[in-house]
This record gives sequence, C-alpha cells and structure tokens, in this order.
Amino acid sequence: MGKKQVRPPRALPPVPSTQQDDIPLNRPKKKKPKAKNALGGASLEGIVQDTGHQPSDGSEPLTHEPLEHADAPVQKKRKKKRLPVESETSFTQKSTPNPSPLLYENGTDLEQAEETVTRKPRKRTKRSQPTGLQYANELGVEEEDIIADEQNHPGQQPSIFTAPIGVSQPVGKVFVEKSRRFQAADRSELIKTTENIEMLLDIKPSWTTRDVALSVHRSFRTIGLFSHGFLAGYAVWNVVVIYVLAGKQLSDLSNFLQQYKTLAYPTQSLLYLLLAVSTISAFDRIDFAKTSVAVRSFLALDPTALSSFLYFAALTLSLSQQMTSDRIHLYTPASVNGSLWAAGTEEEILHPWIVVNLVVALLVGLSWLFLSYRPEMDLSEELMFSSDVHEYPNVDKQTISPS
Amino acid sequence: MLQTSNYSLVLALQFVLLLYDLFVNAFSELLRLAPVVQLVLFIIQDIAILFNVIIIFLMFFNTFVFQAGLVSLLFRKFKGTIILTAIYLSLSIPLHVWVLNLRWKSSKQFIWTDGLQTLFVFQRLAAVLYCYFYKRTAIRLGDPRFYQDSLWLREEFTQVRS
Repeated sequence: MGKKQVRPPRALPPVPSTQQDDIPLNRPKKKKPKAKNALGGASLEGIVQDTGHQPSDGSEPLTHEPLEHADAPVQKKRKKKRLPVESETSFTQKSTPNPSPLLYENGTDLEQAEETVTRKPRKRTKRSQPTGLQYANELGVEEEDIIADEQNHPGQQPSIFTAPIGVSQPVGKVFVEKSRRFQAADRSELIKTTENIEMLLDIKPSWTTRDVALSVHRSFRTIGLFSHGFLAGYAVWNVVVIYVLAGKQLSDLSNFLQQYKTLAYPTQSLLYLLLAVSTISAFDRIDFAKTSVAVRSFLALDPTALSSFLYFAALTLSLSQQMTSDRIHLYTPASVNGSLWAAGTEEEILHPWIVVNLVVALLVGLSWLFLSYRPEMDLSEELMFSSDVHEYPNVDKQTISPS
Repeated sequence: MLQTSNYSLVLALQFVLLLYDLFVNAFSELLRLAPVVQLVLFIIQDIAILFNVIIIFLMFFNTFVFQAGLVSLLFRKFKGTIILTAIYLSLSIPLHVWVLNLRWKSSKQFIWTDGLQTLFVFQRLAAVLYCYFYKRTAIRLGDPRFYQDSLWLREEFTQVRS
C-alpha cells in the first residue's frame, strides 16, 4: 500500500488539449479510473501515460461504448476513456447526463473553460486530487465529500502528514472516570463539585508553617509560665526543707545529711530542669538572640529583662553547687571508712551550699514576681512574626537585578 | 514551599531531640546505677546533638534564601545557633569522656575536681543557651518568608550587598 500511495501523480488524467469542453465537470470521473489504473497497472506505463497526451487504454473493454456520441472522432476517443469508468464506478453514472449539454455549448464558453482548466487541473490533479481521490476510491468515500473538501481548500496543498483540523464541539456531558469506568456526568454539576473541592483546598492551606511555629511558641510560653511559678515554689520549698532539717541555727547538720542525702540529687536535677526551662522561657520573652534589644531592655530595667538575668544567675549558682550536691548524695558518717565527710567539716561545706540555695530561691522568686508584672510580654513573637507588613504582593512582576 | 505537615514533623523531631538532651543533662547524674547506663545516655545525647545539627542545616538548605545563594545572610541570621551548637558539642563530648573515664570502674565514686566542676558548669550553661537558640531557630524557620521571594528578603539582600 505504501508504494501505491506514492504513485498517484502518475495516474493523472491527461491534459485535455483537444477536448476542452467537458473537462471541468468530467474531471473527477476521469481521474478515478486513472487512479485505479495507475494503482493496478505497471508503473512504467503510468509514467508514459502521464507525460503522454492520451492514454491508449487498449486493455480496457470498449464494448459498452455508446453509438450516440459517434459524431466526431475526437469524442470517440474521449468516450473510450470515460465509459469504462462509468461501467466500473457507480457514482459516475450520476454525472453522465451533465456532459451532454456542455458538449453542445458554443465555442466561447468552451474557450473560457479551457483557459481556466488547462492550467489548474494540471497542478491540482497532479498534486492534490490524485492523492485525495485515490484514497476516496479505496475507502469508498462519497464523491460529494471530496468535491466539497476540494472547494474548501482551493489554494492549499493537502499534505499526508498534517492532522485533520476539526472544530471542537462543546458537549453538555462530560465523561468522568469513576471506578474504572467512564460515566457521563453533567458539565454544570461537575463544575460545582470542582468548585467545592477548590473551596476545601482553599481552607486547608490556612494552617501554614507560620501558624505551626506560632502555636509551638505559644505552647512553650505556657509551659514556661507554669515553670516559673513551679520553680519559685519549689525553690522556696527546698530552702524550707533545708532549714527545717538543719534545725535551729544549723545545729543538727548530721541529721540533715542523713535525711537529705536521698533528696539531694533528685532535687538538684529537678532544679536544673526547671531553671533551664524557665531561663529559656525568660529569654524568649526578651528575644535574647537580638542582643541590642536585650541589652536595651536590661539597661532600661525592664522587669522581664531583669528576670532573665536573675534566672541565668540562679542557674549558674545552682550548677556551681553540683560538687557539694554529689558529696551530700554520697554522704556516709565520718566514722565509716572511706567517708567523704571528715569530722567537723559539715558546717564548713554545708553553710555556703545552704546560702546558695537560699539565694537561688530568692532569685527565682524575684524573677517570678518580675515576670508576673507583665505576663503577656513576648518580644520574640512580636519581632519574629511581625512580618505581615513586609509581605511582597507582586513577586512576579518585579524582579531584582542579579548584579 | 515548605509543607505544613513536613514542617510539623520536623519540628516535632527537633523538639523530641531537644527534650532528650535536656532530660539527660538534668538526670544523667541521677541515673548512674551502672556506668554503661551513662555511656548509652551520653552516646545518644551526642548523636542527638549531631542529628539536630544535620536537621537544622537541611532546613537551611531548603530555604529560598539559601537556594537563592544568600548563604551569608542565613549565617548572619543564625550564627548564634551555629556557633553555640558547635560550642555545646565541643563541651559535651569532653565532659562525657571525662566523667565516664572517672566513673567507669565505680559509679559510686566521688570524682569531682575544680576542673571537672568548671567544665560541667560551662557545659550545662551552654546546653541551656543551645536549647534556646536552637528552639528559636527551628521556630523561625517556619516563617514562610524564608521559602519565597519577599520584600523583606530583598531588603536583606540590599543590606548584605551594601
């Protein structure tokens, strides 16, 4: 088939040099048999027929040649070509009455027709028509379709490789794939559902990463607020326990060590944990990372800045007593072999430790009071997330120069 | 653009690692029934710090600021976190090695010297500062401005250039 598709130019009808009158209307009739002959016949003979003026058509049967057109020998030759086609094709018979009036028209019309036809059909029939009509014959396409197609594109040269251009027809129904089947759905309903989905999608992104960060920050601030109060109470409780166990004027230190050694490390650990959380929370409130802001707040004796400083001091003091706490934790009476506590050294070791714990309790209590003075203050949130003004509306339109 | 779910997941992971770090710092002295317990706790703690460093750098790489090539801007904004994390890790590892080395034979032994006490205080103070800066950075990286072009970014860019 591929080879046959190349051949059509060879099957062009001969140039009607002698029979100019009936060419415009009979042209489709002639081409079809020629195309068929070209497809069916040998290629070399086809080339000769193209270049030659009249094909011999000796192989075609001439038995059906009508006698009514025997007025001129030229017409006989023409009929010889035409009639076999009529016998082969069905639709050409419809147009058989047409040639007769044209044949008997006067010479002026024929000459005009000659001028138009003798040039154009060569090009058209050689290029456009044989390809189109040949396939039409093979596929059994109606002649009217082919002619209409030809009239729509008179100057264009149809190509085999161009895709058919069609105007899309909007259909009321849309086929949507549901459960592995395409089901017809109304277009308006589909638009409604997609709008609903878009609305849902619009709602979802409202919870942005910034909101997550803000919620986490606020959660930690709440935890910190709890920690401040708990630490203040815990530190005071710790000091009270120490003084109660140590007795009046710290006279019963051995009893205190016996009782407190199990509490020493848990107390120290919990104190560090609470101090750490409270310090971080206090730093958050003054946005300690911005040193200039933090120093300015501290110099202005801002209560929050002061409380941050006090927390950090308390943390340092508390950590500095780690060694003593461990010593208390490992307390054994001086009489026991390998004891860390030599006789008479309890007061010397414990006195600073008790004072430091007292100071820590005071610092923590003061910090809590300072923070309670302005519990809503949070510079971090204000400085870190106050960016709504700086949002850039038209990013796409304005670009920055790289250099 | 950073997805909210992804950011929440990463933030939760960072906070879990921070909480573990805080927990070990607070209670490691209490949980010294056997030296190997402290060993495991310290190893995991150091790995957690490293993980946190990796995560925060991955978050940096994910920002539009970094992808636009403004690495110096990111470093300027978060240099406190980067430096403090490095300091904290460099203090933690020697302290852990020192403490375990002294307590390896007997966990009930009194090991404190002035040097160890000083290192301990600085390590714990650095831990608090690291925790604060890291938490602040992790929360700040949730700001959408780091993941898109904005007027703020252009202003920062001009400040860096000038």
